[in-house]
Amino acid sequence: MQFTFSTFIQQIINGLSLGSVYALIAVGYSLVYSILLFSNFAHGGFLVVGGYACYFLLTQWGYSVPVSMLGALIASGLTAIITERLAYKPIRERTTTTLYLLIASMGVNIIIENLFVVTVGGRIRALPQNTFPTGVFKIAGITLSSSDIISLVTAVIFLTLLQIFLNKTRWGLAIRAAACDIRTAGLMGVNVTFLISLVFFVAGILAAVGGIFLSVRYSLYPQLGSITTKAFIAAVIGGLGSLPGAVVGSLILGLAEMLTAGFISSQMRDLVVYSLLVIMLLIRPAGFFGKAVSEKI
Amino acid sequence: MRKFLLTLLAISLLAIPAFGAEPIKIGEIATVTGDFAAYGVAEVESIKIAIAEINAAGGVLGRPLEVVMYDCRTRQEDMVNAARRLVEQDKVVAVIGPSGSGLCIAAAPIFNRGHVAHLGTLPTNPLVTVDESGKVRPYNFRICFLDPYQGAIMAQFSYMNLRAKKAAILYDVSSDYSQGQREFFIKSFEKSGGKIVADEGFRGEDVDFRSQLTNMKDSDADVLIFPFMGKSLPLAVKQARELGIELPIVGGDGYGDFMWEISGNTLRNTFWVSHVDRYDPTLKGFFDKYYEETKTECQEFMNAVMAYDCVYWLKDAIERAGSTDPEKIRDALEQTKNLKLMHCVLTMDEFHNPTGKDGVILRCDETERKSLFFTKIRPE
Repeated sequence: MQFTFSTFIQQIINGLSLGSVYALIAVGYSLVYSILLFSNFAHGGFLVVGGYACYFLLTQWGYSVPVSMLGALIASGLTAIITERLAYKPIRERTTTTLYLLIASMGVNIIIENLFVVTVGGRIRALPQNTFPTGVFKIAGITLSSSDIISLVTAVIFLTLLQIFLNKTRWGLAIRAAACDIRTAGLMGVNVTFLISLVFFVAGILAAVGGIFLSVRYSLYPQLGSITTKAFIAAVIGGLGSLPGAVVGSLILGLAEMLTAGFISSQMRDLVVYSLLVIMLLIRPAGFFGKAVSEKI
Repeated sequence: MRKFLLTLLAISLLAIPAFGAEPIKIGEIATVTGDFAAYGVAEVESIKIAIAEINAAGGVLGRPLEVVMYDCRTRQEDMVNAARRLVEQDKVVAVIGPSGSGLCIAAAPIFNRGHVAHLGTLPTNPLVTVDESGKVRPYNFRICFLDPYQGAIMAQFSYMNLRAKKAAILYDVSSDYSQGQREFFIKSFEKSGGKIVADEGFRGEDVDFRSQLTNMKDSDADVLIFPFMGKSLPLAVKQARELGIELPIVGGDGYGDFMWEISGNTLRNTFWVSHVDRYDPTLKGFFDKYYEETKTECQEFMNAVMAYDCVYWLKDAIERAGSTDPEKIRDALEQTKNLKLMHCVLTMDEFHNPTGKDGVILRCDETERKSLFFTKIRPE
């Protein structure tokens, strides 16, 4: 195999494209973490709900692509709110130990996965090929598929919208205040219960976007949520609770995976990438944009 | 699962008054969930069909058959637990399934310690029936051909039929199945005079292979070899075509019609080793029945046919043994000779593998959107 510049660029594109999908999921993780200080492992479940909602709206009930996607976003958002109300709120009210929330979220993830196994079956499905424009662009030996571009653009759009929401609206301000100190925010008159529901709704929407992308680019199956492990790791690299950190961490992880597989060894990829992760955490335990940098959102 | 239990209940309710005899308990382990879910579901359905047929025709030794099924979730630890439950608690006479080599190998010691025969539906790795030292595992059997055989079929087909001299391989480093086929492909392809120009790995749960495929694209190969299975297969094919690789792709028996839904027309110019030809007229009756029972087309047809024939193979062994003693059934399985089954005539060799089976090569046809018979290969 010859090393060429175009191969290098191709691997960078591959890495950015994978990283942008990780980013959408990692931001949802980080958003919940910034408020409630626990890793919501049910995020993978919300993602699966989004994927299946889009699939069924589109293929079984014959809705158009935009309607199906909107339906999927709402379905995931509502699932996230319901999960919070049924599983997390009672725990939050009884204890301040977030470990119980973490364990409950793992439980919810398994419940959602198995609900799909039992109801729709474990079969691998795919969203119709024409859900997104398909096409491959070739520039100087480098291949760029339209799904690469769309996923990158969508990630940028949704993450920008999120920033605007957090920085320019009253509820965004409330979320930032809660991220700083949820008790004080409550004392200052912020309706904390509603606020947390809102955060979960937003996280659910982001999960659904991730879920739709994963189902179009890869495929749809009840265990699809397991890819969130990677997004979780990316969120940790960036610094849990930090949204820019989640994005940067995701891109780093995507690039590290692709470049290691491309230029060192595909067999050793995970060994190399995760050794780097451990070393990085030893040097910077809070990740790149973690709490140490004072700003959490 | 609920549907399965209800069917089981229905079968037993129907069967008990007819026979009045205690059912013979057969164990089944299937990958109903997890990575191989599609394959597992096909096995569960086809075993149900076979059992219903046998019971309707009077059962075995005048007794109805009953299945005790556990899902191993495509995970080795659940596989071991399921095997233990079947052997120790349910006291089944023999166990059928699943299809994954790694799963079968993980549970092999349980069957040998418990002295209960195990019939693999599609585990193609050699170590399923022999241990590391090459000694046969007395209680392990299989109905399918092996990875060395399959690797040789792929190598011979690539070298002779496709006239490929340089091959690029992508394989799953976390799977015994994939590792085995890769190893035997390389051995056989290099022996013919071919050259391996790229050898790339990934891990089972990966969904993105573009990094490896980019290297394979740059390797100047004549053919891509994909010896793995599950959802990785259609994804890798699709991503290869998206990267502009139009070379023929040759893979093992991981092919299933479910791949069309994910890969669509990118499956053009791909070739797959198969144990059976889906459109073989002798199998039509079975597939019609499968559709009737499940209201779905049988997409994972290899698993369905193998699992179905395993039940009849076991029935024959119980009858020849004239007993439900697991030891005697094991002996009868070992002595299987010229047994006419739906998809083949089965003869066991000394290593508990079938002998002299042809490898069918299927070619994906993008206009018909299915895989059609291409040629038959019996490696030297």
